[in-house]
Amino acid sequence: MPDNPRMSAPSPDAELMALIDRVGHRDEAALRQLYDRTSPKLFGLAMRVVRQREWAEDVLQEAFMTIWRAAGDYRGSLSPPMAWMGLIVRSRALDLLRRRTADRAQLTQEFDEVMADTFESDAANPMDTADASEQAWALHQCLSQLEGRQREVVSLAYLRDLSHGELAEQLKLPLGTVKTWIRRGIEKLRTCMQRFA
Amino acid sequence: MNLSANPQLIELLAASHALGTLRGGARRRFEAIAREQAPVRAAALVWQGRLASMAELQTPVVPDAAVWTRIRNLIEAEQQQQAIARQRAAPTPAAAPAEGGWLSSLALWRSAAAAGALATVVAVVVGVNLSDQLRNAPAVQYVSVLHDDKAVPTMLVTFDPKKRQLLLQRVGDYHEGEDKSLQLWALPPGGAPRSLGVLGRDAALRLAAQEADVRSVPALAISLEPKGGVPSERGPTGPVLFKGALIEKTL
Repeated sequence: MPDNPRMSAPSPDAELMALIDRVGHRDEAALRQLYDRTSPKLFGLAMRVVRQREWAEDVLQEAFMTIWRAAGDYRGSLSPPMAWMGLIVRSRALDLLRRRTADRAQLTQEFDEVMADTFESDAANPMDTADASEQAWALHQCLSQLEGRQREVVSLAYLRDLSHGELAEQLKLPLGTVKTWIRRGIEKLRTCMQRFA
Repeated sequence: MNLSANPQLIELLAASHALGTLRGGARRRFEAIAREQAPVRAAALVWQGRLASMAELQTPVVPDAAVWTRIRNLIEAEQQQQAIARQRAAPTPAAAPAEGGWLSSLALWRSAAAAGALATVVAVVVGVNLSDQLRNAPAVQYVSVLHDDKAVPTMLVTFDPKKRQLLLQRVGDYHEGEDKSLQLWALPPGGAPRSLGVLGRDAALRLAAQEADVRSVPALAISLEPKGGVPSERGPTGPVLFKGALIEKTL
């Protein structure tokens, strides 16, 4: 198993969990700290899913209201703190996209631009490991083993909850290609993630 | 189907399931098997957890400061609504702690058989209650009746200097949309509008305010804003729906 250089550092998870606990006790100052610590990452996620700044702002706002109300139940979820908050952001973002499906045509057009940007960089995103959990670090390692476009298709399938058909349609790729990339991507992730189990 | 003989297939199906690309009948069959076979269920949960980390791997983008303002405004409006609900549920909350203190010391008084002292305590408690009631009676220093562009009254606003609160009472039947908030502004002479707070959906609401916020402000206004309102320094972004003069009560 590869060495994680952050192993010896104090756990960011513990700090975030302590903040979430305080938020669960209606501590507004703790919510502010949690927001300052996590909002760039969560906003980046929201932007990735909904692609428009204004929509992403609505998603972040709704997500933090959900975090404010649900923080008391966080411990029971057994999730790392960033993963828990990330799931809330993703689910709010997907809700928003569902509400806006009427604007499908516009969405596809923007998607093309975004995909052009996305596909240009073949290198793995440099990862900001400051607040990332052990699990995220492992996934990052394994995703970086995929070829750039494969990695993007796998990531977008998850983040935007897209089927093979939707991915093919939106990325203007043959369905067979999408299916092959997803299958190979999953197979590589499976063998890679085993090493971190 | 007995999947447990094929751990590699379990893993692939679990990963596809978590990724979301396992769809339709195949997804339903996998979920049915997972409900029956614990190892399959475990693999599905493991993969859900693994892929959930995808949320942490996105390039950070710093959001606009206005987003936090909106979140804070919504939370303050929610807190104020809950405070009002608590006040309604317990009409004289100030009496409760005094009574508790009196009860808990009762045994001591009894053992001392000091009836006179007890009478004094009761008198003190009653005195505390009376002064609490007086202290809790709303004081009104400023009054404003906001109206719409047809001069129909829509909101009564009073300022209580003792509690440092603006009390707002909706008097019309205006209801903002689910994705909108009403925001109250002070309109100081020769200055930019200053936000006094964002309104919740209750018929009556309170906003914390200092006397300095309303002193020598000739008028108030309410604008229609995105849910949670906008930062004060930018001023109203939506239409001004209601306006009214703010009058200091001197009698």
